[in-house]
Amino acid sequence: MKTRKPAFVFACLVALFFPGKAVAQSDPGVRPGAINGQPAATPMSPLPLSSVNANDGSLQFFQNGLSRFQDVESVSKSSTNNNGLGPRFNFNQCSGCHSQPAVGGTGPASNPQFQVIANGIANSSANTIPSFITAKGPTREARFPFFFNSNGSPNTNAPNGGVEDLFTVSGRSDAGSCSLQQPSFSAAQATNNIIFRIPTPVFGAGLIENIDDSTLIANRAAQARNNLGISGTFNHNGNDGTISRFGWKAQNKSLLLFAAEAYNVEMGVSNEIFGQDRPLPGEDQLGSGLPANCLNLTGTGYPEDTTNFTPTVTSSDQFAVNASVLSDIEAFAQFMRLLAPPAQSTTTPGGATSISNGQAIFKAIGCATCHTPTLNFTQPSNITTSLGSAPVTAFSDIEIHHMGVGLADNVSQGGAGGDQFRTAPLWGLGQRIFFLHDGRTTDLLAAIQAHQSSGSEATQVEENFDALSPSQKQDLLNFLRSL
Amino acid sequence: MQMNLSRSLVLLGLSLSIVARAQGTPQSGGDFSSNPQAKKLPSETLLVKGAWSSASDSVTPLPEGGRVTKNIYTNAYFGLTYALSPDWTEKYSGPPPSDSGRYVLAQIRPADTFKGANRGSIMIAAQDLFFTLAPAENTLELINYEKESLNEDFKVEQPPTLVRIADHSFVRFDYGSPVAELHWHVLATQIRCHMVEFIFTSRSTELLETLTQEMNKMALPADAGPISGRGGGDVPMCIRDYASDENVLERVDPVFTEHRFNPAPVRIIIDKEGKVKHLHFLSAFPDQAKAISDALAQWRFRPYLHDGKPAEVETGILFGRAPQRITSSAPKVASE
Repeated sequence: MKTRKPAFVFACLVALFFPGKAVAQSDPGVRPGAINGQPAATPMSPLPLSSVNANDGSLQFFQNGLSRFQDVESVSKSSTNNNGLGPRFNFNQCSGCHSQPAVGGTGPASNPQFQVIANGIANSSANTIPSFITAKGPTREARFPFFFNSNGSPNTNAPNGGVEDLFTVSGRSDAGSCSLQQPSFSAAQATNNIIFRIPTPVFGAGLIENIDDSTLIANRAAQARNNLGISGTFNHNGNDGTISRFGWKAQNKSLLLFAAEAYNVEMGVSNEIFGQDRPLPGEDQLGSGLPANCLNLTGTGYPEDTTNFTPTVTSSDQFAVNASVLSDIEAFAQFMRLLAPPAQSTTTPGGATSISNGQAIFKAIGCATCHTPTLNFTQPSNITTSLGSAPVTAFSDIEIHHMGVGLADNVSQGGAGGDQFRTAPLWGLGQRIFFLHDGRTTDLLAAIQAHQSSGSEATQVEENFDALSPSQKQDLLNFLRSL
Repeated sequence: MQMNLSRSLVLLGLSLSIVARAQGTPQSGGDFSSNPQAKKLPSETLLVKGAWSSASDSVTPLPEGGRVTKNIYTNAYFGLTYALSPDWTEKYSGPPPSDSGRYVLAQIRPADTFKGANRGSIMIAAQDLFFTLAPAENTLELINYEKESLNEDFKVEQPPTLVRIADHSFVRFDYGSPVAELHWHVLATQIRCHMVEFIFTSRSTELLETLTQEMNKMALPADAGPISGRGGGDVPMCIRDYASDENVLERVDPVFTEHRFNPAPVRIIIDKEGKVKHLHFLSAFPDQAKAISDALAQWRFRPYLHDGKPAEVETGILFGRAPQRITSSAPKVASE
């Protein structure tokens, strides 16, 4: 007669008294192992597309962009000539917020915005850390859906929606006499007049940029007949009328525009697309703009980021010299464009069978109607061969969808209304920490459930998810964390 | 002297407070508020909309105007009354009508009191046949198209078949997903040139069959059927493309004030004199709706004649950018 081990007895007791717990599904959490599923990648060195190489110079441009993506910006007088920060900003380095699981990703586990005063990036004489920025919370930008009126109440007749930068350069030794105050975050929170956005990861972004509109339109038509209540549409670029595709509401057409806007809005650096220092929305539209003593803080004129007519790099490698000619926003765009997409794990978490089963369930219950697993194919590329005629396994239709009052942020961008969001690409999801546009949860299960609310196109799909057995739900969660 | 000193101190304090205010928190307005007790915005409320549905009046019934009240779904536009089973409820309303004419009319799920072993869900949906992207002229063709376009992950459990529900003809289509162990029963008919669908989803085919049988308690317009359902009687006849050149006697183009890129489908009811009596935008930005409304008010149509007498007629017009339609036609696997 065998002796039963204590652990086995304990497991039986747990199963007996907590049957639900024993079989309940749960988010496996951030997938361990290789960064982006790529053994050669490191947190500081994400991989470029496979065709990127030193012989045609694309590798030098990628590396130059990667380096600049990690530059720390100062207001003025920087020994590295990285000037132009502010007068308002959310952080002083692209990779500060785009770093999980590697440079180019999304917000990290330890929020660098929480340390801006401690690290001397913002001065405590003019800045406090807003309560929604926490040590282990998501990196965020804030927006006020509505301007305040003269009584201090949100004015629903005056939509705002622009980014309210968290910090000012005031009080820094390199900021001169510029004296600015932070927007009224506490009052905005007290009146429910604030929403948040977290950084979107940019791995594989060059592939998304290189999809022809016709491919997206055909995919939309193919998905139009469904019994799920899903009917997406596209956001468009106001200049040429084509489909825009970057940002939480697909409001940006290209990676260059995306980089230029972020440099201007998130870091306060004027550039060749956004040529002025950026005031707050109310300072610009309702007030008189930035005060004179907060303008031209670099002392070099505008834009602060320009094409470098005279290369500063001396190298026997002509491509390295060529790359130094770019402005920062062009270098950022090339870095993002040449960045490889994440690779899916076939075995982690949960094993190959569970992941495969989860992928089939993902399609069967309707997730794939919006989160299109593969868009075939990109248009031919004149930049690097990997960008051309390639499948895009982004798990997104690039459409904007009504996501209901539970997720609505009451911010309109382009053709997207206050409840419409681009289908978030899911590639790389397995190693993200924060979910949904505002990073409200780290629990994948909660993120799925948040798809259901009044006015959401995803309510029925979430209902289908609820109808699955616990093991089927676990397979689906494992699949998502394998991405 | 003492009084002068006190007065001076008061004045000094007042002056300092004024200076402090000038250098302190900005006055309320724009990005700044000094009043944390100010009026609070409601939570989970959509206040900023994009392209949305709207109508020229609040009296004429709209497809999306149906409601669940006392466990009965009633839709005045479709002339539909559908009693829900006990312990079923509508928790979440659907999204707005789409720019391709898709409606989620109601989403019904088991209430917390539901005792059944398997859950399920009921979606009541509609597709405006004037604006569908699919290559189909009527409900029967649309369901057949759906069956033909079902991907390999699903298994057809009953191909589109004509059935009688509540003394009306419906097309029934059952399919399932072996991997998800879910089953769908789709029952569709046509009312006022819309496909009206009841989509039941559950792991339990028994539950689906029960829900299907309970549909017999519903009330529908007399002409509802997979090919019929073209209005008339108490409601206007619906005619596709009635706003074609031969019927439009006077046309004024809308003057748009914004460059938009979306389709703006509108259903109109034309009165017996040939004037636009009612407009229903399925999806349009407010500025688009205003421009189109102003223009359509000036259109004059050839009055529609029914049995030789002028009658109201309902049709659809697509303004804005036309979406891509699917051109391949599905083979007919059932017929009425």
